[in-house]
Amino acid sequence: MEANLVLQNVLTPPVLFFFLGIVAVVLRSDLEIPAPLPKLFSLYLLLAIGFKGGMELEKSGFGGQVLPTVCSAIAMSLLIPLICFGILRLKLDVFNSAAIAAAYGSISAVTFITAESFLESQNIHFDGFMVAALALMESPAIIVGLLLVKIAGTKNRPDSREMKWSTIIRESLLNGSVYLLLGSLLIGFLTAAHNPIGVEKMQPFTGKLFYGAECFFLLDMGIVAAQRLPGLKKAGSFLIFFAVLIPLFNAFLGVFVAKALMLGPGNALLFAVLCASASYLAVPAAMRMTVPEAKASYYISTTLGLTFPFNIVIGIPLYMGLVNNIIPSAG
Amino acid sequence: MKRLDLIFSERELDAIVKVLESAGVPGYTVMKHATGRGPETIVSEDMEFSGLGANAHVIVFCDDEIINKIRVNVRSILSYYGGVAYVSEATEL
Repeated sequence: MEANLVLQNVLTPPVLFFFLGIVAVVLRSDLEIPAPLPKLFSLYLLLAIGFKGGMELEKSGFGGQVLPTVCSAIAMSLLIPLICFGILRLKLDVFNSAAIAAAYGSISAVTFITAESFLESQNIHFDGFMVAALALMESPAIIVGLLLVKIAGTKNRPDSREMKWSTIIRESLLNGSVYLLLGSLLIGFLTAAHNPIGVEKMQPFTGKLFYGAECFFLLDMGIVAAQRLPGLKKAGSFLIFFAVLIPLFNAFLGVFVAKALMLGPGNALLFAVLCASASYLAVPAAMRMTVPEAKASYYISTTLGLTFPFNIVIGIPLYMGLVNNIIPSAG
Repeated sequence: MKRLDLIFSERELDAIVKVLESAGVPGYTVMKHATGRGPETIVSEDMEFSGLGANAHVIVFCDDEIINKIRVNVRSILSYYGGVAYVSEATEL
């Protein structure tokens, strides 16, 4: 069953374009995407999923499963970095442990939309309010990561570099990708509530172009992920195992929380994917700024070189299988 | 006249520019998206989409007096975040 799901997932355009990017690097093709374009596409994807999520949130309202799901998502983004930090401290220093833990506590928007594409291909229903969970899971993990450095790493830092609350809040809430996602969510919500014509006008941009833009972005992600693979050698076997095993563990946790929340199979998969994914958009930028002692090669190689490909190729169908097995009504 | 070359991550550009401005430099040139190899790793534009950015190269032509004003604060930033700064003689054409 899971093998069949993996195959069906691999044979979707976004995942195939991801492989195309990887193969381009392996075969040393001269395929190159100019740097501003992936940046533009990442901003576009954040804007589009935020806007669509805001519209859906307006439709569903805040009743029913919405608030408990969003609160549980925030709780998971506070808990997961603490678990990861505890594991990572076995081998790494405070700074690297906190930065990697923050990355794994935070989420990957592209993994999330790949999971949405997977659910659409399987004709499994999911709710738009899950985007609210996505948007609200980025910041808490960054805050936990920075607090871990503040609490556990202060004595190793120069006094002049002691982090201020204003820095922590700024980096976690005003980081470009977090800001755009939250802002688009709010705009989508307000537009859907007060301006139906505005929704219609946005549709060609945020709706029809979305799938193609996702494929193009994943092509670039394939190239970047393949370029980051050699960095894993420096990270060592501990981090390689961590990058594969921790998403599985987090997805497992996520599915049990989804079961407790009585989420349907589609929403349960998205919840598990949010728990299992790791950030390479908001967190690296925030950590580079506030915890420069941590090696960027560690938290980028693990999240982007291993966890991201693992999740979008094998993880998503595997977690779907987990959902089908653990949540009886889902099967 | 001195020439100051600074190469560091784009993320610290605002902090460096603030130091230059407060020292009263007559002007500066910023070249973004600078790539190459640092002591530990290759610096490329491949993570540009994440906001991590590549390097920036800043060139300043100014007097010795201003270089001395800049020195401590620039060193403090570069020693913490990484990056290099070199001063050389410059002759106006």
